[in-house]
Amino acid sequence: MIKVKNIKIRELNIWERIYIPEIIRGLGVTLRHLFSNLLNPSSIPTISYPEEKVLLPGHAKERSRHRIKLRKDGTPKCVACMLCATICPAKCIHIEAGETENFVEKYPKKFDIDLSRCVMCGLCVEACPEDAIIMDTEEIPGGAKDRNASYGKDGLYATKEQLFEKKREISTFGAANRLANEFLLSKERGNRND
Amino acid sequence: MSFMPKIKIDGKEYIAKENETILQCAQRNGIYIPRYCYHPSLSIAGNCRMCLVEIEKMPKLQTACSTIVAEGMNVFTSSEKVKKARKDVLEFLLKNHPIDCPICDQAGECYLQDYYMDYGLRKSRVSLNEKVRRGKRRQLGDYLILDNERCILCTRCVRFCEEVTKTSELFVANRGDHSFIDIKPETSLNNPYSLNIADICPVGAFTSADFRFRQRVWFLKTTESICLGCATGCRIKVQHNDNTVYRILPLPNEETNTWLCDFGRMTYKEMYSEDRLNHITIESQEFGLDLDKVFDYIKEVKPQEIAVFLSPNLSIEDNIALYYFASNVLKTENIFIPSLPERKIEDGILKNSDPYPNSTGIEIIANKLKLKKDEKTSEKFALVISSLEIAKTYARDSKGIFFSLTKSDMNGAIVPMKSYFENEGTFVNWQKYARKTTVSVVNEKAFSVFDVMKRLAVLFGSNSFFSSLKDIEKFISSNGIDKEFK
Ligand code: SF4
Ligand code: SF4
Ligand code: SF4
Ligand code: SF4
Ligand code: FES
Repeated sequence: MIKVKNIKIRELNIWERIYIPEIIRGLGVTLRHLFSNLLNPSSIPTISYPEEKVLLPGHAKERSRHRIKLRKDGTPKCVACMLCATICPAKCIHIEAGETENFVEKYPKKFDIDLSRCVMCGLCVEACPEDAIIMDTEEIPGGAKDRNASYGKDGLYATKEQLFEKKREISTFGAANRLANEFLLSKERGNRND
Repeated sequence: MSFMPKIKIDGKEYIAKENETILQCAQRNGIYIPRYCYHPSLSIAGNCRMCLVEIEKMPKLQTACSTIVAEGMNVFTSSEKVKKARKDVLEFLLKNHPIDCPICDQAGECYLQDYYMDYGLRKSRVSLNEKVRRGKRRQLGDYLILDNERCILCTRCVRFCEEVTKTSELFVANRGDHSFIDIKPETSLNNPYSLNIADICPVGAFTSADFRFRQRVWFLKTTESICLGCATGCRIKVQHNDNTVYRILPLPNEETNTWLCDFGRMTYKEMYSEDRLNHITIESQEFGLDLDKVFDYIKEVKPQEIAVFLSPNLSIEDNIALYYFASNVLKTENIFIPSLPERKIEDGILKNSDPYPNSTGIEIIANKLKLKKDEKTSEKFALVISSLEIAKTYARDSKGIFFSLTKSDMNGAIVPMKSYFENEGTFVNWQKYARKTTVSVVNEKAFSVFDVMKRLAVLFGSNSFFSSLKDIEKFISSNGIDKEFK
């Protein structure tokens, strides 16, 4: 059932209807901010992104181009649980799961993000139980690099190859990581028994 | 009259049935008591302790699944004591649990997840590294994968193999927190009902090898339909997403089935086989989806040379369309039904000795419309045979129009047929229950028999053919065919 709610719109009073005084009042607000920002620049609430950054709360930290973290042996931490694809409001993450030989059993056979549809909300990062997907590359999709077409055909369709590209810190968090860690350890010791 | 005890559950009075358990009585009256080991179609084991309830004047909590109701019982299913007990039981069950949810196919339909959110919500006091390790990923049989770490030892799987299939492949090995589900040496878990184990396992210990990692369950949409793997005609749930069927589950009902056989569950695979037809072939030439070509092929044939076979693989509607086309458009008298196998449950569970889903249906049609039954015909041209076996028996040497899901070596026009996940129609099972299939996925590269007959009727210049399924329904009821259905 759709509920109907009646909203009374306030009538304009006489000053507002004359219109000119309100314009002057609005210009006054603009001028006040102009001078206060001019004299005290530190009070400006906006920042000059991307030169300046503020860290976002939670796991998101920042929201630039995605990447998938890798394990010590170069395999992706992602286990294709699809939670990011489930939460994504733009429905722009396309994953196909495959089966691995190692302990973790599952990996993403296909992992594409259609960045031209992504709304950069960072929900995928929040949803990931494996600490695998993260948006901390400091690259802005559609920026200079994409125009140089170094990211595939149109730069805005990120595939596995590009997402898994960068190796940075080794992360050991995540639900299925106990298995991965045990696997890596056994590989180091040279006694695989999976 | 049998004795009907009055009992109170959560302060409300109910009349129970004799020898009913508290859990069953509560369930009948819409009160849900959490459970793992209890399954309505298996014996009672009472080993998981999840169903504990408080009963007045009893010092200890009792398991609702195994306590029989008694006159004047006063049961509480959500008192503080019960809630605390559930929380504790869950903590025990999860003590050595690996919490693999991201890689576990059960996630989304897992009783551990559900009850944890409903009753548990407690941090584990055992760290992941201290948990007892049991075997992971072990393939038992063709369709099942067992992960012993996720098992909560409810023994539903063991009881299923003992009581339903009576094959007893599984047992609980070892003791204490080292117990695990094992298979008897030199057996494999390949009984024809094995995939039911993946359904009844309340957690992700037994999962289906066929469905493995192909979809997350929360993406799946469900349509209710019927299985046409044999004349039993079990009711099923078809689960699909993005126009692709991923799995078939039973839809338990009193009349026919609680379970589903593995063969029936795999019938959807034919749709995705490499040999699936998506164009019309006439004498080895491909013609896209142009039905006019089929018309060209049949228009010169004289009516008395044509034999029309109703098919036990097609729905009532399609068969009626075929009959009507033959008698009113082609004006032939040679309308037959093939000889049909005997129908009975072969193995005492579900599998029928008749592999066709609508034998009973076409027998009813043949009786009502007075059709000829299984006569050797000398006609040169056969029309619409949808089962390869029947085609080979009756039309091996003749030309004809054949409907098929997959490539066929018959001599004539082969028309790609819609599978029963793609077409709606009524089928009458061996007990005479008439049930309908529903369209779960859309396929525009195949035809139903009705589609083809309708088009051919137009090309033959007939204007009295059925224009929709509604018209066929009218024909069915005006000829009293549906009076025979249950
Ligand atoms: S940032 Fe938001 S829109 Fe973009 S992929 Fe992640 S969840 Fe989807
Ligand atoms: S949520 Fe994380 S682990 Fe799951 S599919 Fe997305 S990136 Fe992979
Ligand atoms: S059985 Fe349930 S709780 Fe255990 S890993 Fe699978 S989904 Fe998670
Ligand atoms: S494998 Fe599943 S059904 Fe069998 S005992 Fe373990 S939890 Fe129960
Ligand atoms: S459901 Fe009652 S003990 Fe398991």
